[in-house]
Amino acid sequence: MDELSALPPSDSPRKKSKRVRTTSTGIRQGYPPSASPVSTRAESPLQQINRASSTAPRPFPERLEILAPTPRRHLLDSSASQQWLHTPPLSPTSSRAGSPASAASSRRPSHSQHTSFSALLQHGSGGSVRPSSTRQERADAETSATMGRRWIRWMHKRGLKQWVVPMGILAAVLVKACIGLGSYSGKGTPPMYGDYEAQRHWMELTIHLPFRMWYTYDLQYWGLDYPPLTAYVSWVCGKIGSWIEPSWFALDAARGIETPGSKVFMRSTVIALDLLVYIPALLMFASTWQGSRSKRTQHVALLTLLFQPALLLIDSGHFQYNSVMLGLTLFALNFFATGQDLLGAVCFVLSLGFKQMALYYAPAIGSYLLAKCIYLGPSQGGTLFTRLAAVTVITFLLLFLPFLPPFAPISAVLDPITRIFPFARGLFEDKVANFWCASNVVFKWKNWASRASLVKLSTGFTALGFLPTVFITLRAAVKLQPNGSAQSQQSDRAKATHTPFLPLLPYALLNSAMSFFLFSFQVHEKTILLPLLPMTLLLSAAHVDSTVYSWGVLVNNVAVFSMWPLLKRDGLGVQYIATLLLWNRLVGCNPFRIPQKSFIQIISAAVYSAAVALHILEFLVSPPSRYPDIYPVLNVLISTPVFILAWLWSIKGAIEVGWALGGPGPASVRASPAERRLSVGESIPTEGAVGSYRQAGGRAVSLGYGQSRRRAAYGSSRASSVTAGGPE
Amino acid sequence: MDVDDPSLAQVPRPSATKPSDPPELTEDTNLKRRVWFHGDVQISEWDILALSTSLKLLLYPAYRSTDFEVHRNWLAITYSLPLSKWYYDTTSEWTLDYPPFFAYFEKLLSIPAALIDPKIVDINNLNYDSWSVIAYQRTTVILTELVLGAVLLRFIRGAVDPPNQRIISASLFLHPGFLIVDHIHFQYNGFMFGILLWSILMARNGNKLACGILFAVLLNFKHIYMYLAPAYFTYLLRSFCMSPSGQLQIKNFLSLANAVIAVFVASLGPFLVMGQIPQLLSRLFPFTRGLNHAYWAPNFWALVTAADRVLLRYAQRTGADLVINPSGVASTSRGLVGDTIFAVLPNIKPIHTFIITILFQSIWLFKLWRTPTYKSFLTALTLCGYSSFLFGWHVHEKAILLVLVPLSLLAAERHAYYRTFVIISTAGIFSLFPLIFTPGESIVKVVYSLLWILIVHALLSRRVYEFPKSLPYVFLDGLEKIYLAGFPFLLAFVSIFPAYLERRRITADVCVPSEAFSCPDPDGTTRTDGSHLAAMEFLPLMLTSLYCAIGVVWGFLRLMFIYLHEETTYRGQLSALG
Repeated sequence: MDELSALPPSDSPRKKSKRVRTTSTGIRQGYPPSASPVSTRAESPLQQINRASSTAPRPFPERLEILAPTPRRHLLDSSASQQWLHTPPLSPTSSRAGSPASAASSRRPSHSQHTSFSALLQHGSGGSVRPSSTRQERADAETSATMGRRWIRWMHKRGLKQWVVPMGILAAVLVKACIGLGSYSGKGTPPMYGDYEAQRHWMELTIHLPFRMWYTYDLQYWGLDYPPLTAYVSWVCGKIGSWIEPSWFALDAARGIETPGSKVFMRSTVIALDLLVYIPALLMFASTWQGSRSKRTQHVALLTLLFQPALLLIDSGHFQYNSVMLGLTLFALNFFATGQDLLGAVCFVLSLGFKQMALYYAPAIGSYLLAKCIYLGPSQGGTLFTRLAAVTVITFLLLFLPFLPPFAPISAVLDPITRIFPFARGLFEDKVANFWCASNVVFKWKNWASRASLVKLSTGFTALGFLPTVFITLRAAVKLQPNGSAQSQQSDRAKATHTPFLPLLPYALLNSAMSFFLFSFQVHEKTILLPLLPMTLLLSAAHVDSTVYSWGVLVNNVAVFSMWPLLKRDGLGVQYIATLLLWNRLVGCNPFRIPQKSFIQIISAAVYSAAVALHILEFLVSPPSRYPDIYPVLNVLISTPVFILAWLWSIKGAIEVGWALGGPGPASVRASPAERRLSVGESIPTEGAVGSYRQAGGRAVSLGYGQSRRRAAYGSSRASSVTAGGPE
Repeated sequence: MDVDDPSLAQVPRPSATKPSDPPELTEDTNLKRRVWFHGDVQISEWDILALSTSLKLLLYPAYRSTDFEVHRNWLAITYSLPLSKWYYDTTSEWTLDYPPFFAYFEKLLSIPAALIDPKIVDINNLNYDSWSVIAYQRTTVILTELVLGAVLLRFIRGAVDPPNQRIISASLFLHPGFLIVDHIHFQYNGFMFGILLWSILMARNGNKLACGILFAVLLNFKHIYMYLAPAYFTYLLRSFCMSPSGQLQIKNFLSLANAVIAVFVASLGPFLVMGQIPQLLSRLFPFTRGLNHAYWAPNFWALVTAADRVLLRYAQRTGADLVINPSGVASTSRGLVGDTIFAVLPNIKPIHTFIITILFQSIWLFKLWRTPTYKSFLTALTLCGYSSFLFGWHVHEKAILLVLVPLSLLAAERHAYYRTFVIISTAGIFSLFPLIFTPGESIVKVVYSLLWILIVHALLSRRVYEFPKSLPYVFLDGLEKIYLAGFPFLLAFVSIFPAYLERRRITADVCVPSEAFSCPDPDGTTRTDGSHLAAMEFLPLMLTSLYCAIGVVWGFLRLMFIYLHEETTYRGQLSALG
């Protein structure tokens, strides 16, 4: 196989297949499971010719037991059988096929191990498969591609592939710097100012005061209420800033300072921390989680994430350092994907230590790690569990070291703890698009229950909200756990870089963060950034016509919309319009596109029109004096249903992926260890329970799935006759 | 595309709207999107518009120069005063000093402005800077710049090499010069250059009457384009009003003359009737300013002034036998709009600069007269603007756009042009940097310009690359690369030096008295140190000006050499056009 792929491509087949959108180029019959999956990126053109010539006359296989929708190209190129599931999924949207050069470029070990889940990330796409065979359709495909894709394709075609990432990052810096020119939270509003002043004040107090006083100094004026890592980062920034200009951070004297220089310094710390934490995390995400996808798709994912409007507006506009927390969490996810669980745990603890909001992710990450321990079996799992526990505790201890006994009395550690978790505040703050605030319109919670019972209620709701994915993750681990626990098999599994149920993780993260956002106590509107991260990760490389894409774009846009009252107060109206315009153009979302067919597209159209109508109304009519908060409340009423739907959708997605992994049936899987190691596809029972597997959405692992087009008019009938199955 | 292909010479002169190349046509139609309105705009072009618009929107709250208030004041003048008082009003110090078309344009803009916020057009409401006026004026800049975008699109349709032209058009639409000068500093250059390029486009398409009319219109918008007028005059006279054999074509001549006169009458007529022409001209041409602008534009005189300073230092140090003008020693030309007086070199008067400019321009015009083709016209146009910029009296650094914009159209012609374009663009854009001095905007201007030059270079260089042919060329090539590599260092120096100076000043000023040591008399050492530091304050500006001037002058020499040797040695793609 390798020798063949080293052959130079003959011209005609390459041309023929060049711009055909494919889901997978490497289809081979009887692909030996023990072979290295590395070199399967592309097939030798010679093989393609052979196959094509042998199978071209019949577009569909004679064998009817095909399990899942298969793109036509596969059928043309090889006599399809269910064996195709054994091939590692390749980029569903790669438009390059069969080039030996691309095979060579993908022959990197770090990529090979993650071949399975990037296809699973795509699982939610629906509709039928449209083979884009004619030229006109190909042109349509190009036209419907997004701006990001167009630009990246263009750059790649001109041999500027290696420029895409640096230029994307540079452009992101430019956009952040431009947003930074504008106003920020609490500008010119003495005596308390806003979040900007809080962050600046923390830099001021950390560099001037000893550790002991950090969490006790003048709590009325923006007392430090984030965990110690924020304090340490503030200390570093403050030290650098006061080296440049001491008056920016003079203790007490600098309160409310608004000089241009200090503003630029503060803005540049955000950009610098972005470049240090968040952007490397994104780059690593693209090369691990999307590692099996084409370079183009990885670049698209990177751009989608870099220009995510909500994060841009809050970090560079409103002023906060959320990207550090999100970046650390993302590093944790990346390390889970490469199998370095301990490093991942450290990163997640650091994320928690930077901002306690990362707790929103804790159920998902905790259950994933627990599931991995279960999956590895008693002995290895136990070892991993002990190690994880030790690493977590040690990291926490190190973070809190200055507040612990050798350096401070034992009571000192209570200062940060009580500051970090303020249960003394209200159920929700301002107007936030969560369950409590939305239902408060009709049901006045505060009159009905005491605060203590509300805390309990909200905690219970939150737990109910995230339990489904916790359960699914653990169940997947139990199901995938082999019955015969041979020693060699376990060591194999320990060596494998990631677990088969890793694709559940983004859904679990979305589910848990969204349930915290919707149901927990004391939520800010900015907290929507936490569910947005897994949502955007799922969206990042999804095809434009997939359901994941529609959900991702809708939730992102609505999240920005839900923060409109905040942004308006901060004076970031123009930035709101500009970033939304830029990002939607980049990911190719046109909210006002006419043909709406699926549920999500109808929902999107309704929500977008409601949002636009609200904006127009707000612009033209000032609120009546009886209801001064009418617009924020309407905003909440538009946004909350979307978030609740997204929460439900995350559970649905998790269930689908869970079924895809283990099947809905109670029987656990027996498979040879060598097979298991290859990809998720292997863990699907090929004998028995075929029907139930299909019905249950087993096609989620279909390689062709991500490629399918919802708005396909052509070919749907024929394709569906073969590929029908699975709930929609 | 093979440029020497004779079949190219037969490419029919394309009309403004129809693409000429059949394969290009099919690709165009494929990429066209079915939307409610496309007006012959491709999806990638919409992308660029969306990208640039969102970026420009983000620049709304950016720093604004006094030009912002100047334009607001003009809105107020044209809205609240009758026509007869426009050029007499002195309520604000920013009097109306653009030609009448621009005043009419402001009048047009002032009508919606009054509806949005009547305070915008209140003539006594000086330095009004509420959000409404900022948003309104910035929006008008973005909207009027669409003229530029539309004209650049027309350039692609029917270009000799559409892929190259597409890159050039995009690079012009996204030019950092426009971003810095229009969208941060605040002016309407995008609109003005849109008209200029429209006129050039008409010349390319062979519609020379429209070319002349549009240029006359442009002159009545902003009279700085007079720098380019000689080239226009020569080109139109030779190629439109005369037959190739040199006979006057009376019909063409009369139609052009009448059209141009009509334009001027439409513009100046009302003021002619009221007898205000002398007043108008005195506003348009204030000859009371100095040789250099406050910040020396990177032109020939910057080099001369610097040489004078060096000679003065040399004379003072060594006591060399030089005649030193005492008033020149005091005049350091820093930050003052006044006369620059040389200490050692002979002084320059406006008439000198005028004569030098005319002499240089006559060279290009002679060449243009001999070869009145489109490409020759474009080069001569660039060189005319260039010589005015280099040798003119009181040239503003923003005038470099007069060189950068037409030169961009030639950038993909061949490597010699491309290299010239890179040098002048880098130096020219860098020389615009001092316009924006606030720290936040400085990051934006640097990152944007870097991104722009990187993308343009990455795209164009491989299309036109040629190997240096002989040893001197290799040597020059190396020198040019070294020069370009110097810009990052200059940037680092320019950004760090003021902070360093500030620190020095603080340490010089602050003196903590202790028991054993009392502060020295403030009139003593400290002050001399302070004045020494103050003299250093303008060092970054001076260095920027000098370094850019070297590049700009070298680019001038390059372009001059290319132009004078063009056609005898080389026929580029654009030569296909008549």
